[in-house]
Amino acid sequence: MIKAEQKPMDQIRKMIADYPKVLIVGCGTCVTICFAGGEREVADLASLLRLKDRQQGGQKQFLETTVKRVCEREFIDQLVPKQAEVDAILSLSCAIGVQYLAERFPKLPVLPGLNTSFLGLIEERWQWNEVCVACGDCILHLTGGICPIARCAKGLFNGPCGGSVGGKCEISPEIPCAWQKIYDRMASLGQLHKLEEIQPVRNWVSNQAAGPRRTVKEALKISGK
Amino acid sequence: MESSRIADCCSPQLNQPCQVACPIHQNARGYLAAIAQGEFEQALRIIMEANPLPSICGTICAHPCEDKCRRGKVDKPLSIRALKRFAVEQGRGAIELARPKARREQKVAIVGSGPAGLVAAHDLALMGYHVTIFEKAETPGGALGLYIPLYRLPRDTIRQDIKNIEALGVEIKTGKELGKDFTIDQLQQQGYKSVLLSLGLPVSRSLPIPGIDHKDVLLALPFLSAVNNGKIRLDPTKVVLVIGSGNVAMDVARSAVRCGAGKVRVVCLEAKDEMPAFPWEIEEALEEGVEMQCCSLGPKQVIVNGNQIAGLNCKKVVSVFDAQKCFNPSYDETVLSDIEGNMIILSIGQAGDTSCLNGSGVKLNQRGQLVYDSNSLATSREGVFACGELISGPGTAVQAMYSGRRAALSIAKFLSGEEFKLEPFEPLPDLASGVIEKVKRLERNSVPILPVEKRINNVQHVEIGYSLEVARKEARRCLNCGVGARRLEEKCIDCLTCVRVCPYEVPVVTPEGAVDIRFDQCQACGICVGECPARAIAFNMPEVEDVLLQVESAMKGVKVAGGGPVICFVCSYGAASWRKLPGFLKGIPPQVGLVSVPCVAKLSVSHFIKPFELGAQAVVVAACEAADCPHEKGILFAQKRVDSAKQLLSQAGLDGRLEWVSFPSGDFSRFHQALSQRQQ
Repeated sequence: MIKAEQKPMDQIRKMIADYPKVLIVGCGTCVTICFAGGEREVADLASLLRLKDRQQGGQKQFLETTVKRVCEREFIDQLVPKQAEVDAILSLSCAIGVQYLAERFPKLPVLPGLNTSFLGLIEERWQWNEVCVACGDCILHLTGGICPIARCAKGLFNGPCGGSVGGKCEISPEIPCAWQKIYDRMASLGQLHKLEEIQPVRNWVSNQAAGPRRTVKEALKISGK
Repeated sequence: MESSRIADCCSPQLNQPCQVACPIHQNARGYLAAIAQGEFEQALRIIMEANPLPSICGTICAHPCEDKCRRGKVDKPLSIRALKRFAVEQGRGAIELARPKARREQKVAIVGSGPAGLVAAHDLALMGYHVTIFEKAETPGGALGLYIPLYRLPRDTIRQDIKNIEALGVEIKTGKELGKDFTIDQLQQQGYKSVLLSLGLPVSRSLPIPGIDHKDVLLALPFLSAVNNGKIRLDPTKVVLVIGSGNVAMDVARSAVRCGAGKVRVVCLEAKDEMPAFPWEIEEALEEGVEMQCCSLGPKQVIVNGNQIAGLNCKKVVSVFDAQKCFNPSYDETVLSDIEGNMIILSIGQAGDTSCLNGSGVKLNQRGQLVYDSNSLATSREGVFACGELISGPGTAVQAMYSGRRAALSIAKFLSGEEFKLEPFEPLPDLASGVIEKVKRLERNSVPILPVEKRINNVQHVEIGYSLEVARKEARRCLNCGVGARRLEEKCIDCLTCVRVCPYEVPVVTPEGAVDIRFDQCQACGICVGECPARAIAFNMPEVEDVLLQVESAMKGVKVAGGGPVICFVCSYGAASWRKLPGFLKGIPPQVGLVSVPCVAKLSVSHFIKPFELGAQAVVVAACEAADCPHEKGILFAQKRVDSAKQLLSQAGLDGRLEWVSFPSGDFSRFHQALSQRQQ
């Protein structure tokens, strides 16, 4: 799932400085689950922005709304009646949503209230870990279901490096060494021999090296209008 | 007792087991919550929604609610009956009584003013009918006033409830006996459109054994009545044998102790663990010196020596009940024993007296029992209904009240030409064992009673009653069955936060992969409500859903000298439960607006930020100490949310404006202290 975090308040305030009336849009899916941009966060941010604005003698107005998924046209169409009322949209969705809003509302500035962090997994209710970079050419079958691209600091295909100490990565004692985990997992699967095979140099075309990616599901495509 | 809804005040969805178990469906959960929050008048209001005899029930109800209380599976059930008495005593006089909503022309006559007749009269009067009660005795109340000992039910208690019923316009004519002073025909001639027979069981049963007609063999009901009238003193050198071990036998035995009997012995068919009296009655009788060694004995003959009773000759009981569990004692006549005693009081059951119905057109069966329809309680004569122990046999007061209520509803339908039907009313299922394990154990606060030495020489009410503090504490033990969290399907995004935060593991992922907040298991701690990121959990308490409205009105209600009001969220079970005490408000600085919530764990981060947006200068969250809260984890969650809100407020330059304080829930001086420190 997509993990995001709210931008610092000062940054947000700077972004909205020129707009008297701002619509804050939350997203009811991934960013709600990670407590970054759901209905609650929209309400809290709106409160704080109003407060801060009033402290400085401003008269900004903030409207609040949360749609089910900002990355769906049918859901963001709910915002159409509001577009004439406001001067900008501050989106608490992930960057996908921000871009979709920008596309859908060409005359309105659309501003990101969140930093889209990574594709991650919840470890504790309060902690998420990055586990996938959406590289487009999955190798998890070779690495015991643990992605070295996302989870090894160096993104090594033939790890570990010399910085693996006591199962931890040299960059932080809090980050487990992905290759140690891969090794342990392959050992428990009785497949250590598979790690002896050297992985060749990766063709990164699938990962953006060839520009923005697009998938077309031909089977679903209906031609004509 | 069948489970059918007979009160408008119970919602078909929220069937807490105590309410279903109560024959008249008292909303016990509702009034326990009100008591726990110090809202005693509100508690009485809730009680009186369903109960026209709150003083009587608060004093003597057999409390079937407690038998079904789900806390009983955790430790011990709530002390619901005694808390009702507490609410009645605290709230009495302060609340306005319900008034009839409409006036109807039809007249209804009720024969008998016991609990069944009184409830029927109340209900019909409230529906607008003209109700007259005809009572054979000189004072109304039926068995309650005639036979229940004063030490259990002070007579003021009865008068209090009857006064309220009379205030509804019910006329009570005492000294009027059916079949002697008036007939059903005459009632109909006088314009009564319906007659309700609530005759009770006024006849004490006797035994067909030799010697039973001796002058020192008495019957329970005349004995109890004479004791209540102060007409009996017993000889301290004599031994009284009480035959029977039901509740009336306990009344007789304990009354005999109070009348000065030398010794009181219970003689009964049942084995010790089969005695039908309530356990607390047996226990209190034992404390008062009643002997209960003569069990499993069947009276064979009264032993008379000269003209004095010397004892009772008994045969051994083999079994009391037969294979069908019916009362059908069998004896071993070869094993006989003599029990020494000088006076015998028979307390082996009661019967109705239907002789007053002879020639009335109301059909009786061959055994002289009334024939009636078990659904509508109608008799064979049109417009004549029956209720109470007359039809149900011996039971508790609250069962009789149910019967009276049912008859009242049925009569109303009869008078308006409609069909009478009751909706089914099912209780919540039992608590799951996994939930039971996690509920905090809280010791039951038994209601204090007089020590034995202070009660055996007089007819003073044995039960002392709760103090303010203990009543609150006891009421707070309620598990709030059925008022907790409910998943809003249209908003839930299946994020599993509720599953992860609930200390009781109430929300679960079903084997089919769906999230299910098991509403019927919820302990109403509110943690999930404050955490759910999609705001997809509704809570069945208005105070929880309306917090922001309360904040707005609190802001308006305070006097601000400068700098804006201070909003203080305070636990309504904790410090705020004392808000009705005169000293409480004095200690609150004028700029502080109180918002009481049933535990601060039900508040979310937004609640701590929003007041600032509305113009508050500071927010104080006044919680109970975790050890004082039935949901200790709730306090941790609430504190964490306050910390999060502080961080957010800091980004808006509002450092030090949000404060968390906690103190023992019974100590509101600490609350005052915290607020005045804040002021400085």
